[in-house]
Amino acid sequence: MAGFIAGLLGATVSVATVFIFAGLGELIAERAGVLNLGVEGMMLGGALGGFVVTVLTESPWLGFCVGIGVGMLLAGIHAFLCVTLKANQVISGVMLTLLGTGLTTFYGAGWVDRSIDGFSEVTVPLVGQYLIQIPVIGEALFSNTPTDYIALALVPAVWYLLNRSNLGVELVSVGEDPEMADTMGVSVFKLRYLAVVIGGGFAGAAGAHLSLAFSQLWVPGMTAGRGWIAVALVIFAQWRPTRMLAGAYLFGMLDALQLRSQALSVSVGADTPFAGLINAALEFVMNAQIMSTYPYVATIMILSYAVIRTESSQLAVPSALLESYSRETD
Amino acid sequence: MNATVDVTAREETPPWLEYAAPIFTVLAALGVGALVLLVIDVNPIEAYSLMLVETPTSRQGQTDILITAVPLVLAGLAVYLPLKAGLFNIGAEGQLVFGALAGTWVGLNASLPGYALVPLMFLAAAGAGGLLAAIPAWLRAKWDINEIITSLLLSFIALELLSYAVRGPMKGATGNFPQTAQFSEAATLPTLYGRVHVGLAVALVLVVLTYVLMTQTRLGFEINFVGSNDEAAVQAGMSKYKLYLFVFVLGGAFAGIGGIGEIAGVQGRLRASFEPGYGFTAIPIALLGRGSAIKVLFAGLFFALLFTGGTTMEVFLGIPAALVDVIQALIILFLITGEFFKQYRVGLRFKRETPSTTANATRGDD
Amino acid sequence: MSEPPFLELDGILKQFPGVVANDHVDLRVKRGEIHGLLGENGAGKSTLMKILYGLYTQDSGTIYLDGERLELASPQDAIDAGIGMVHQHFQLIPRLSVAKNVVLGEREPASAFRVDGTSGGLLPESVRSNSIVQSLAQLFSLGLDVPKRRIQQLADQYGFDIDPDAKVWELGVGQQQRVEILKALYRDVDLLILDEPTAVLTPTEAEQLFDSLERLAAEGLSVIFITHKLTEVESVVDRVTILRDGENAGTAAVSDVSKADLAEMMVGREVLFDIERDGAERGEPVLELRNVGAESDRGIEALSGIDLTVREGEVVGVAGVSGNGQKELAEVTAGIRDVTAGSIRIGGSDLAGATPKEFVEKGISFVPEDRLRYGCAAELPILHNAVMKEFTDTRFGGKASLNYDELTAYAETLVEEFDVRGVDSVAETKAGDLSGGNLQKLILAREISRDPDLLIANQPTRGVDVGAIEFIREALLEQRQNGTGTLLISENLDEIMDLSDRILVIYEGEFVHETTPEAADRDRIGLEMNGGGAGNDTDDRPKRGSSRSPTPVATEHGAKRR
Repeated sequence: MAGFIAGLLGATVSVATVFIFAGLGELIAERAGVLNLGVEGMMLGGALGGFVVTVLTESPWLGFCVGIGVGMLLAGIHAFLCVTLKANQVISGVMLTLLGTGLTTFYGAGWVDRSIDGFSEVTVPLVGQYLIQIPVIGEALFSNTPTDYIALALVPAVWYLLNRSNLGVELVSVGEDPEMADTMGVSVFKLRYLAVVIGGGFAGAAGAHLSLAFSQLWVPGMTAGRGWIAVALVIFAQWRPTRMLAGAYLFGMLDALQLRSQALSVSVGADTPFAGLINAALEFVMNAQIMSTYPYVATIMILSYAVIRTESSQLAVPSALLESYSRETD
Repeated sequence: MNATVDVTAREETPPWLEYAAPIFTVLAALGVGALVLLVIDVNPIEAYSLMLVETPTSRQGQTDILITAVPLVLAGLAVYLPLKAGLFNIGAEGQLVFGALAGTWVGLNASLPGYALVPLMFLAAAGAGGLLAAIPAWLRAKWDINEIITSLLLSFIALELLSYAVRGPMKGATGNFPQTAQFSEAATLPTLYGRVHVGLAVALVLVVLTYVLMTQTRLGFEINFVGSNDEAAVQAGMSKYKLYLFVFVLGGAFAGIGGIGEIAGVQGRLRASFEPGYGFTAIPIALLGRGSAIKVLFAGLFFALLFTGGTTMEVFLGIPAALVDVIQALIILFLITGEFFKQYRVGLRFKRETPSTTANATRGDD
Repeated sequence: MSEPPFLELDGILKQFPGVVANDHVDLRVKRGEIHGLLGENGAGKSTLMKILYGLYTQDSGTIYLDGERLELASPQDAIDAGIGMVHQHFQLIPRLSVAKNVVLGEREPASAFRVDGTSGGLLPESVRSNSIVQSLAQLFSLGLDVPKRRIQQLADQYGFDIDPDAKVWELGVGQQQRVEILKALYRDVDLLILDEPTAVLTPTEAEQLFDSLERLAAEGLSVIFITHKLTEVESVVDRVTILRDGENAGTAAVSDVSKADLAEMMVGREVLFDIERDGAERGEPVLELRNVGAESDRGIEALSGIDLTVREGEVVGVAGVSGNGQKELAEVTAGIRDVTAGSIRIGGSDLAGATPKEFVEKGISFVPEDRLRYGCAAELPILHNAVMKEFTDTRFGGKASLNYDELTAYAETLVEEFDVRGVDSVAETKAGDLSGGNLQKLILAREISRDPDLLIANQPTRGVDVGAIEFIREALLEQRQNGTGTLLISENLDEIMDLSDRILVIYEGEFVHETTPEAADRDRIGLEMNGGGAGNDTDDRPKRGSSRSPTPVATEHGAKRR
């Protein structure tokens, strides 16, 4: 049992890192008004790119940086299509995912059997060595890869950027009312480009973490839909970085649980009333595939609740999301 | 000297551009694809002629194209109908899969003779697809909740439900594979000729039906109108609520039929790996064909050609499937850039900097 | 004049396709003056101000501010020159706080990095003034302390009660407007333009605004106050310039003229058409509004206590300046807006709360003010738009199907009967491609041909060329002969006078005057339309100009005949 929990927590933290990276990136892009559905493809690009470079150079850090770069490159295409060419953001994103998936499956075929020494687990300086000695949860929670720590550090950084910096104020204004921002002298194009490319970079980081830290190997399609969950996560978090953190851990735990659900079986004693029914229900609820739906179900419910309950002027959705902007003259 | 790019919106697209744009963009995509092919030592001319010339001219190729077209066209309609009403259905994949699931369940569990079973399977599939689609439609119609997000998320939920069903309640009795039992003779779709199954006829009928709906009926008129200006439509007395529900539910039903057609007509059983991606390809199909249901049919056939040709390239030239995906994605990406050029005129303007022009602040860069 | 004006607009000309918005307009505003810009809708006030604010560029004419000639190519230029504008539709981001909205675009760095002497001295001067450090600080930090102090200071100075940390969506409309003003003040403007600022305010809030403006003017700020409300002009304005049909119609010191004079200058004496209006049979009531109330989109009360009866064969004209509840009145009667109170009896039954479809089926036709938004689907062909409400009729097909041949024939008949020009083919030409006048004729054709019991026409000839105007008015009168009851809402007093059997004047959501064309006193109507009526002298403020020495300028008003 203790081993199960330790394993679960460790995996939760590591998967949550994926969600934090990808989710924060998507959050930034959406706050600027651009929906990026290419996250899954960008993650795969980052995963493969990072993996290949690490194999070749034996430096996971270099791989991590390249992974970010690949994500930014793919996002640059999305930005060009959506911001400059004012193309439909949904199609561009979905097709970039297809592109990313296809390219990485193809080019990654030859790298499947390779192995690397990816990021190893480290502890926080000073207090770390004591924290990991806490029974059961100590090692799982406090011994993590550097990428886990980077992700955690990013949460307050992104919060600060969005809420306490001029760049952030301008970025938010571009996602709310690009026309007005333009009148105030804010460069809508530059900010949207920036937001999308940063978002892609974060997605690449998420992928690189997957291949360099979480599983330390490359398998085509290894993101397994986590990019889509990240998109859902942004909505679930109502576009706020702090809630994103909580949501990432929640979804991360679901992800980890789902993988381990076969090992876990919960049931009530046979003489409890309605035992058969309850056990069938429990089995259903704990089923791996059914559990995979929970992030999506939760997001739909939160979204519906938020829209129905909130005054339209207070909705968390960036008001200009999905709208292309072009300056109307005279 | 100052070079600026002038982007001005066009008043209307000149007719030559309407046709030229898609053609040029497809050619451009193929061009980029050619580069990709060269990298893996494949002669692009050979590859493309295989995909675009030999496939549609061979018996085998034609059969495959027609078979692949069935779910593509139906999924295309599933996106097309809501699009006409101004809505975006990107959950067609889930509706397709959910329909396949329901239809398979009926096919495996109802012991009826073929002529009764098959229609029942179709009905179940249509119902399931429609039901799934009703959720985002209702959320949008009643509370204005964005249907893009809800239909997309539901799509993923449906895919997981498929996986669950096929590994659990509907798992085939023999072996331990994540798939259902094989369809019986009765549940298998009869063929029209060769391997082309009856689903094609159903698809064609539905295309015609959709066409008639949109061009000849009151309902079609209202759908068109509400998609063009929903406020004026409401003022005229049309019911936005009913129309939104209708287009989504019908679209979902179509997608569901496409799903069961694929299973009962081609695959013979439902596998966990059934995630054909047709629902997502349906989006560019619907966009290409947004003029009419007939255009959707042709767009669907075109993409069926791409898919089939891609498989041919795979089989005969050893080009991996993933690369075919890449080329398809490129084609679609280029197509949407073509849309841009249809709507905007791009020009290059050179300005000589004079003292007076620099003294004036300009509107900033674009 | 003893001193040169602070702001001088000379011979401003601005044309748009088909219309001259500003025809060699002059404007002179003194330092520390509250200058009113008065005129009806379409007189050119907004255009002139947009030119001054850099949103438009004039075709010819010059702008001088404090003796310096200005070339304004963007709002940024205007702000840099010291001109600020408070728009009718606030340029605020509800999600952000007051402070953030005010500083947006200014890139204020955090206090530690400020170079203007307000920093805490944490970092040495040399570091702070380094350009790289400045750029980074401006991007990645956000200094709100100093700005907030400044905002608070400005707020106190002018009597605003604002919490800089409050989120804008939490604030009431009056407060939000103050934030808009603060945005301009923060940027040290010397001239502040306010575009119909009281349109969204309650009377108390309007009073507070006037107080603030007076304080601002006392400090030397020049204010241009765009309005069409005469009481406001009297309350707060020093001098006023009147525009009419794109031209200057007079400039005066408020203390020298009466409301009646102003109204006369605004409305003018124009007789456009001489239309015969025969007596028509007045029949049963087709519309009875009793005690109707309604809210605007913003949730403010737009109509209250409306009682209105329209009979068969009668045209009831509602005169008033746009924005006094006409939109809501039309929408409520057409069934696309809910009432907050009262009943709507049409053809004997109360339709309050019914669906738009029920209204349509009751035989109500509606020509909306915003024809592109509510009146047509611009991307669809004329055919679809022509049959927008009639396509359900059985003569066009069976239970479910539509006979497009019949529809096409019907559409073509409409196009021909109503002389809609620019139509190549009803099935191909898009409605949005028609000119304003022709589109309006199409819409009118559609609505009238239904042979409605009640026709609601809101600004039916706005933005329509002269030829079409005559046609439309004739068509309305013909329908009147046929027994249709018409609710005609228009800003154009001539139109009301020519077409109506009874005239009502609406002001701030209430009917303030009723008369007939025969008994009407144009000046009185003009006065009532602009709030100058006897019942509207509710303020006890001392009239502006009593404590200052204005320089009177000769008034001019011309009677125009076309």
